[in-house]
Amino acid sequence: MRIFHLSDTHVGSASDFNKGTLYRLLEAIAESECDVVIHTGDVTQSGRRTEYKRARQMLSKIDAPVVILPGNHDARSGGLHLFEEYIGDTSGVREIGDAVIIYVNSAFADSDQGRVGMVKYDMMRQALNEYSDRPVKIIALHHHVVPIPRAGRERNVLYNAGDILDLILSGDVDLVLSGHRHYPNIYRIENTVFINAGAASATKTRYGDVNSYNVIDIDGERQHVATRRVDGAVQEQSFSRRRRHIFSSFGRRVFRAVQVSNSYISDGRAFLPQHFHNAVDAIAGLQPDLMVHCGGIVREGIPQDYDVAARELAKLNVPVIYTPAGRDINYLGYHLYATYFGQFDQAFSDGNILFQGISSAQYDSHEGIVGPTERRAVLDQLAAAPEHMKAVFLHHNVLPIPHSREKGLLEDSGDLLRDLVDADVDLVLTGTSSHPFAARVGGTVVVNANSLSSVYQRSLYGNSFNLIDIYEGAIAVFEINSLWGRRRLLGIWERNHHG
Amino acid sequence: MNADGCYPGFSELNRPIREVVTKRLIGVTAGSSLQEGVAKMVEFTISSLVVTDDGEPVGLITDADVKRAVADGLPPDTPVDKVMTTGLITVDISTTIREALETMSRQKIKHMLVTEQDTIIGILTLRDLEDMQRQRLETYISRE
Repeated sequence: MRIFHLSDTHVGSASDFNKGTLYRLLEAIAESECDVVIHTGDVTQSGRRTEYKRARQMLSKIDAPVVILPGNHDARSGGLHLFEEYIGDTSGVREIGDAVIIYVNSAFADSDQGRVGMVKYDMMRQALNEYSDRPVKIIALHHHVVPIPRAGRERNVLYNAGDILDLILSGDVDLVLSGHRHYPNIYRIENTVFINAGAASATKTRYGDVNSYNVIDIDGERQHVATRRVDGAVQEQSFSRRRRHIFSSFGRRVFRAVQVSNSYISDGRAFLPQHFHNAVDAIAGLQPDLMVHCGGIVREGIPQDYDVAARELAKLNVPVIYTPAGRDINYLGYHLYATYFGQFDQAFSDGNILFQGISSAQYDSHEGIVGPTERRAVLDQLAAAPEHMKAVFLHHNVLPIPHSREKGLLEDSGDLLRDLVDADVDLVLTGTSSHPFAARVGGTVVVNANSLSSVYQRSLYGNSFNLIDIYEGAIAVFEINSLWGRRRLLGIWERNHHG
Repeated sequence: MNADGCYPGFSELNRPIREVVTKRLIGVTAGSSLQEGVAKMVEFTISSLVVTDDGEPVGLITDADVKRAVADGLPPDTPVDKVMTTGLITVDISTTIREALETMSRQKIKHMLVTEQDTIIGILTLRDLEDMQRQRLETYISRE
């Protein structure tokens, strides 16, 4: 099966879109012998009738099945009803050969933000269940689900990207197609390939790039993606569709880490002391080689909370490294953190594995940023230890977290995630939004920790910390309930499997 | 809220087990000793292990099988395939939680292997479902 994937045509005035490029692209579609054309939104520049008319006239030249869904620009000027009039349904399900394509409108009027509301979320969920035995399952939506690199500040994200990502992964979707950021990017996350298209004909491209589109081939065993740019450059990637579910060969355990976040230690009611004490006992019993605290040590950066935190954490008889959350360095916390817990960018190495901290927090802000200078410095530090297994840890999330509003909490998460995956970092540990989550992006396992001991947590399984056991042959990640000590497997991945 | 009257993530009996099953299984190869198998169950704090032969699942060892083996006086070097339960009861990943619970209670079992297109891809245990309910109890404790 061959899919021709384009996005962000932005049909409008000459300053908005390259008409000649779009005509050449229509010729490429005609020559591609594709089974379906999928346009992931921003058909028009501003949702006006004249633009829709012109877009329909141009896109009607396509002589293949077409799936087109709206983007945020199509929802401007009250344009969504015109989309239905000139293009078709904004959401739905199409069956093409062995494949089912579930396409969803993630735009709403006059906002660049994305959102898949509860009704559409349910439609996606029901369609995934109804078509669960289909050999190829594809989801198409305009807004990117995971951060896109080289496209500037991470923003205009899907409000509920965490839930959508969770649904995609639990539904064993093969392909997720999107656009919006005008920069092409491909990740394999677990068994799903996330393909973001660049701008097909919009004049506004990012990172000095040119217009581009994707041609995707799927056969029984492989998915092949070619990103074709109008300057003739072609980037190709292949992904195996084989999935492994049973893990028998682990080899020797070489390292045990415990990952903790949002302890919220204080003498107030947001802190759950019984949860904390039981978890501390459980962590001591596990005898980890290292505990990594991914921020949110105290409820607020005030002396009273730091006093309690220092007293409580001193009971832990294991090596601990810390990175702050914004709340840790609010008020006097900026000074107290350094006094009680040391420097911001902490690191640990035993000669075989390197844990490198990245301070993403800013005081008086929930938002995080790493910045290009620090990002380069971290990448240099990782490159200086080529023989080590590599782990980085920071407070802010690089993948959206279930049941939490995705706000693009880490402003440069797109660039950071791409760089860490490309640098073959083995583990990325984060600790925001208080819900556990783990998934492999390319060869990089990304693990988020729930809150250890705060009332502010989002998981049905309760407060928890993560146990990360690294074996010669595999990485196994469990969450362990803070109060009861019950384990739940978050994932197992073969080691040294990049790509 | 969605059609089920609940937000995504909340335990609803009519939802497919696909949404709660971890599609990873810890296994032991046939021919391994009972001691090796039990060591793995202790290492990962799990109550069941899939026994594989040439990568294919051929049986399941649970806590109950291990207890029975010890009670019967079997030595630690007994091959796991002599102790495992065969004739596996499986459940398709599209089955609802309600149907899976009904099968478990009818068959009087606490573990069921989960299949997708006849391939075993995960395991559903009664405890997984119990743990989802535990939060309500925890919330109650937190308020005390």
